[in-house]
Amino acid sequence: MATPKGEWGYASALEDTSGEVAIVGVGDADHSSASGRGQKEVAAQAIERALEDAGLRARDIDGIMHVPMAGMEFTDDDFREYFGVTHDLWVSKEGGGMVWAATAPHTAAMAIREGKAKYILNTFAVAWATQRNSMVGGPGESHAKELFKQNLEVPMGWFPQPVYFATIARRHMHEFGTRPEHLGRIAVACRAHANLHPGAVMNHKALTLDEYLAKPMLVDPFRKEDCCLISDGGGAYIMTSTERARDLRQPVIEVAGVGLGNSHTGPHWSQQAAFTSTPHVFSAAGAFGMAGISTADVDVFTCYDPFTIVTAMTIEDLGFCPKGEIGAFLESTPLTHDGGGLPIQTHGGMLSHAYVLGISHVVEVVHQLRGEAHAQVPDAEIGIYAGYTGPQASVLVLRKHRG
Amino acid sequence: MAEYREGSTSRATFPLPDVEWPATAPYWAGAAANELRIPFCDGCGASNWFPEATCGACGGRAFTWRVMSGRGTLFSWVVVHRPFLPQYADAIPFVPALVSLDDAPEVRVPTRMVETEPGDLRFDMAVTVAFRPLRFRGVDGEVTAPFFVPSDPGW
Repeated sequence: MATPKGEWGYASALEDTSGEVAIVGVGDADHSSASGRGQKEVAAQAIERALEDAGLRARDIDGIMHVPMAGMEFTDDDFREYFGVTHDLWVSKEGGGMVWAATAPHTAAMAIREGKAKYILNTFAVAWATQRNSMVGGPGESHAKELFKQNLEVPMGWFPQPVYFATIARRHMHEFGTRPEHLGRIAVACRAHANLHPGAVMNHKALTLDEYLAKPMLVDPFRKEDCCLISDGGGAYIMTSTERARDLRQPVIEVAGVGLGNSHTGPHWSQQAAFTSTPHVFSAAGAFGMAGISTADVDVFTCYDPFTIVTAMTIEDLGFCPKGEIGAFLESTPLTHDGGGLPIQTHGGMLSHAYVLGISHVVEVVHQLRGEAHAQVPDAEIGIYAGYTGPQASVLVLRKHRG
Repeated sequence: MAEYREGSTSRATFPLPDVEWPATAPYWAGAAANELRIPFCDGCGASNWFPEATCGACGGRAFTWRVMSGRGTLFSWVVVHRPFLPQYADAIPFVPALVSLDDAPEVRVPTRMVETEPGDLRFDMAVTVAFRPLRFRGVDGEVTAPFFVPSDPGW
């Protein structure tokens, strides 16, 4: 497809499903550094907890969503084997974490509307901490295999993700005056929330801004603290119609809006025309429009945060502050759960909770809107998860159902 | 939309480039001749970088590789202090960079700044291609690759 001159991406048109479905059960697996566990075992633990949370049995689930990961994803066959059921399941491969942790509820809403399933499970898990000493299954593997990267970027050392995003961060600093202490404020807020969350990998390790600034450079201008963890862990959530949700045990958390943006340069960050932006430039209007809200209505902000700079750009690109003004925004806006500003990554995010690629962010937003989170934002009614892969960015708006 | 093509990382020459992969073979053949070559669309004249099968601007499928001047500006860079691949270990610290070409500013060449100190680098400073052998510890062979150096040695 031809790229319109001057346009570096576009919004996907999504049918309005506002309020049609709700998330009725959520589950986190145990999150850790290398655990020796396999990906499927981790996923099964999260699913078991989501079922328990929803008050549903395995035989109630008639749809499952995942994202293909070289056979390591938790499939419908795995579901039958682990949970001792034999029935057919509607299957979607447009689920899992990353960008799809936000769009799966829209895909599920369409399936439920069309009568394909009633109770749909979305799940994602990784065991990258256990696997990290090999190139098999680690976060860099798919990038090293992509042939343009392999033959143009990897040989020169422009690889892997910490290098991509440190390069973006340095350019962002040049264009907009963003400083290391701005990125540090994001890392410190994530750590403060992880310190309150017993399931967070960094639960027992504090981090102040001074400590952040004193840390050595990993990929200058990034310190290790700008980069996400490498974890074993995962999560799961269960969706059904808002109508059926009223009969279940948990407060109804409805899917108010979903948006999806795309970049024409796909996974090639080096060539993205808008180098210091994300496709959230194209995802925000659809999601907030479908939900009928503005950024001022958002009580809890979570986003896919592989690096501090991605959180910074996401805040800008979704319109929480004008592009390029993230530094001033972070200096004037408290980021913690009790600060009255914009609470971000209230479980610690991928920087300090666990690198499970966004699925646990959705779990956290649901806990927040039910009022049962560890770092609870007072009276939280609307929360978002902003997903990201580079080629795409997505927004999920969740809302506490009234009445 | 950029295409995603998956290859293997288990070939013996990784992380040297596979100079025979058709999409980028002319780039590496150019480097071997000490020329920085970039493809342009025969239909609309737009640069086609990375070298996708179809032109992102007009959908054309025929391209001509042209020799660039080798001059550009430093778009952004980092200093890598930890080897993310074991084969990078001997190079630490090194300076991966993106260079915008004077002949086609929208083209960013993934490269490495050499023969300079990181502290001497500035945004948008003039840089020039320098063809040097690329080698990795434990990997047989070498490939001539486009590194970059500051254009003005007294910068």
